[in-house]
Amino acid sequence: MANDLILLLLLSLPLIGFSINGLLGKQLPKIVVGTLATASVFGAFLCALVLFNNNHGTHLVTLFPVLDVAGMQLNASFQLDSLSIWMTLIITGIGSLIHLFSMGYMSHDEGYYKFFTYLNLFVFSMLLLVLGSNYFVLFFGWEGVGMCSYLLIGFHYNDAQKGIANSLAARKAFVMNRIGDVGLLFALFMLLGHFGTLEYTKIAAQLGNNATGSVAITAITLCLFLAATGKSAQIPLFTWLPDAMAGPTPVSALIHAATMVTAGIYLTVRSNFLFQLAPTTNEIILWIGIATTLVAAFMAMRQNDIKKVLAYSTVSQLGLMFVALGLGAYTVALFHVTTHAFFKALLFLGSGSVIHGMHEEQDIRKMGGLSKLMPITHLTFLIGTLAIAGFPFLSGFYSKDEILAHAFQHGMLVYSLLMIAVTMTAIYMFRLYFLTFHGKFRSTDEAKAHVHESGLSMTLPLMVLAVLSIFGGALNLPGIFLHKSAHWFDHYLTYGTKGLSLVKAEHLSATNSIALMCAASAIALGVLAWAYQTYVKKGNTAHSDETLQGWEKLSNAKLYWDEAYARLFVEPTSKVAGFIGTVLDVQILRNGVYALADSLLSSASLTKKWQNGYVGSYLFWMVIGMIAFISYYILKFALWN
Amino acid sequence: MELILLPLIFSVLAFVIPAAYTRLFGLVATGLTLLVSLFHLLGFHATHPEQLDLGLKIGTFQLDGLSILMLLLTNAIVFLILLANYARSISGEKLFTAMTLLMQFGLVGVFTTNDLIGFYIFWELTLIPIFFILYWYGNFDNKRSLMQFFLYTLFGSLAMLVSVVAIFLLTKESNWEALVSADLSSIGSASIWLMGGFLLAFAVKIPLFPFHTWQAETYTKAPVAGTMLLSALMLKMALFGMLKWMIPLFDGMALDFWRWPVVVLGCIGIVYGALIALKQNDLKTLFAYASLSHLGLIAAALMIGSTFIYSSVMLQVVNHSIVALGLFLAAGIIEQRLGHRNLDQLGGIAKVAPRFGFWFAVLTFVGLSVPFTAGFIGEFVLIKSLFDVHNLTGVIAASTLVLGAVYMLRAYQNSMFGPSTVTSFQDLHWNELLVFAILGIAAIYFGLSPKCILDFVSPTFDHMQQLMNSSANAAL
Repeated sequence: MANDLILLLLLSLPLIGFSINGLLGKQLPKIVVGTLATASVFGAFLCALVLFNNNHGTHLVTLFPVLDVAGMQLNASFQLDSLSIWMTLIITGIGSLIHLFSMGYMSHDEGYYKFFTYLNLFVFSMLLLVLGSNYFVLFFGWEGVGMCSYLLIGFHYNDAQKGIANSLAARKAFVMNRIGDVGLLFALFMLLGHFGTLEYTKIAAQLGNNATGSVAITAITLCLFLAATGKSAQIPLFTWLPDAMAGPTPVSALIHAATMVTAGIYLTVRSNFLFQLAPTTNEIILWIGIATTLVAAFMAMRQNDIKKVLAYSTVSQLGLMFVALGLGAYTVALFHVTTHAFFKALLFLGSGSVIHGMHEEQDIRKMGGLSKLMPITHLTFLIGTLAIAGFPFLSGFYSKDEILAHAFQHGMLVYSLLMIAVTMTAIYMFRLYFLTFHGKFRSTDEAKAHVHESGLSMTLPLMVLAVLSIFGGALNLPGIFLHKSAHWFDHYLTYGTKGLSLVKAEHLSATNSIALMCAASAIALGVLAWAYQTYVKKGNTAHSDETLQGWEKLSNAKLYWDEAYARLFVEPTSKVAGFIGTVLDVQILRNGVYALADSLLSSASLTKKWQNGYVGSYLFWMVIGMIAFISYYILKFALWN
Repeated sequence: MELILLPLIFSVLAFVIPAAYTRLFGLVATGLTLLVSLFHLLGFHATHPEQLDLGLKIGTFQLDGLSILMLLLTNAIVFLILLANYARSISGEKLFTAMTLLMQFGLVGVFTTNDLIGFYIFWELTLIPIFFILYWYGNFDNKRSLMQFFLYTLFGSLAMLVSVVAIFLLTKESNWEALVSADLSSIGSASIWLMGGFLLAFAVKIPLFPFHTWQAETYTKAPVAGTMLLSALMLKMALFGMLKWMIPLFDGMALDFWRWPVVVLGCIGIVYGALIALKQNDLKTLFAYASLSHLGLIAAALMIGSTFIYSSVMLQVVNHSIVALGLFLAAGIIEQRLGHRNLDQLGGIAKVAPRFGFWFAVLTFVGLSVPFTAGFIGEFVLIKSLFDVHNLTGVIAASTLVLGAVYMLRAYQNSMFGPSTVTSFQDLHWNELLVFAILGIAAIYFGLSPKCILDFVSPTFDHMQQLMNSSANAAL
């Protein structure tokens, strides 16, 4: 009972923030707006902590039925279990840090109150998504976060230079997400048809009768995965995420790195009882994950926009999580979701601090030497870089290591491909770090004079996230380090869950574990040394886009992926639409009707009146007469029959 | 009874009232009618339909859940249309006000009559005022497109008239309950033809592909108020006619015969309308084709039918009225302020007119059926019904989710976002703001509790289903 109330409080806090700021925000001073928004999310975080503490297995809370008909009972109900509570902790925890950061970052923005209104609405939708006890509530949240994402990507739609580009990026994100949403919609229809319910626990309970690999389950899981590729930016629907960097940087950190883009992973983990029965789907997930992580890492190598590098990096890391899902290592995927939320939020906020300090400059070719000018940002960004590159004993090291260990057990091919991706990750991240913070300042002296470290509301979240990025790995230490408290996270997630049969991590032999860790560490350290040599000692800097050759050009041009989509899908659709609109609809159908009408009327010798415009009134009286005539007979018939 | 006669009385009064007060009179009259109907709602129970008898054989009227919902919708929408156009010169016109009120009378009659012949007469009656409004206030440079609309509707109506007369001669009945209980399928394949007559009239009015060619031109060239009347109310007559008359009367052989043709045409319309909307430059034309797409979905799902789908159709009907009114109002506002509606010359309005930008955005999202708006549940149920009947029709229907996002956001962004090309744009007047706010709040209210509409109409459809079943049993 207590948990029910806390859950309601948790859900309503962001909603209250949204309502007050939305209705009154314009009149309120900025500090009130920002504090209210941040406090509501932080309050939700405290609620989540209480729930985390009280977690005793699956607990359902039903509020009210939305639809109640035979074969389709859709409830607004929620499910508290390890998985949903953990996601809630990430969303509200990272969320409140990013809200705090935004108070500083957006302080000069005229749309300040609007920004926090949207942000709170986003947090609410995201909470619906993870806390719902059925696919219907999830779908509500799923569409809701898509809408908030749209609003926030296109937040600066009025910008003189970038306004149009921003709103186009927002539209692209919305439309590509909608393609994924169609997949989710069909999955819902099939689940309803097959199980007669959308409740996770009820579906899981019915699954005994379904044979592994049945067509229905495979179709359902493929549709769910299509939805996941949209929200979590996987091939083929990943191209919206890099463009989504048009949004303000806190948005990129919260929505497009730490929370919303992991919704696809959450969906898969939540539906793991279905995916475990669909080996074909898992194989597809595995290879899509591998392809995405490689392609995105490759594209990140020669990007020069600080946020674009991080965006492709996010796509690549999400791909890595899908590899884990494809291998059935659900807890591992969530572990990486968690550490990634720490260090990627840190990196994005760090880049935001840089952009803020550099007065909206995002091109790393115009940066350099910022380590002295922005010491806190520099140090925390370094920690984030080391964590994502897999530097030994930082958080990313552990979560990546577990994915690699599973890949290793699956086979050498998958393992080697992942090692390539991991190497590329280290390369582009150290390139980004060194070009931004070391070497000479490459812009004008005047610009240099204006560079400043950010205020406390921005640096404080950076410091908290840096600490989490360092120690986050302690959540799930491998068995070779500690015997007693090892794999805490695996145990936590699998504890007392109904309808959630998470596969436990497989354990390698101690020798193999150590060998894999050494290999990963060697790569991180080796690339670090090489990058230091290249970008600091030799002073290499990024070249302008035109001079790039070979693979560098391909990476910089993102493999011409967007152009290919334009050629394959957008242009043909546009041509067909144009043909239908002008030729088929107007010239053939409409003019055909005209011709028919003309011939009919000329036979009634009305052609002249047609042309001089009297025909309208003529026709009118004709109709009046007709109606009167008909009515008379009908009335006569009806009344005196 | 006053529910039905009030608009007629006001319509006549509108001629007498001094011209200076016409504007106010229209607003007060429709507001009063709306209040009376709302007041009536208080004493209404959906499970107990009310009979209203004028003492004539064809003059029976009935208020059940379905008809009172349509009645309320009509009264609310007509009021909102007059309110939305309050600041425009058109609402000062005696003839316009009188015609709109006459239209309201016709619509109310269509929605409340319990008699097939009465239905036909009211159906035809609505044609007269809309014709005058289009003819006097429209922008029809040549009268051809107006003629096209008129001829189309006329042919459809004539086809229906033949069916109405034939049914009357066959059964000697025109009362709804008697007709539904009577078994028409006993006349064999002739019932297919009779239903075809109804279907043609409805297909033109909705419109269903390929009977839609009058729509884009008429919507585009009509005055804003006329477009609103056409899209938010008149085409609902056809959906209502299908639900109340066509389906229960022809349940059985004829309905089975026509089911797939209509589903296929509806599905074609969904994609066809959406694709054309992608490329339109004129906002009103764009929304006209969008309407073709949305209505295709409703008509197709309606033919698949179950009482629950019918209730969801009513939810979508209400939603579509809200969206159509809001979007055509937005297009009208842009045209009034700037003198054109061409997307390629618009941009940046949101910056100079933030209130308009906000409310237009709200209505755009309502049009996209995002969660917490009226369209979300309705669209979910309708697409599911098409998916259940055949996976392919479900896939085609779902394309509206993606294509709809493209054309709706294009329409909104190209006009409202980007660098400002307009320097001065009068933000919303009080009356426009009020209309947008009412529409937006209604959409969110029905989005949060779709049950209030579903539960309101479902007893009517249950009752209808019982009558249909009993007639089917009698046939066995």
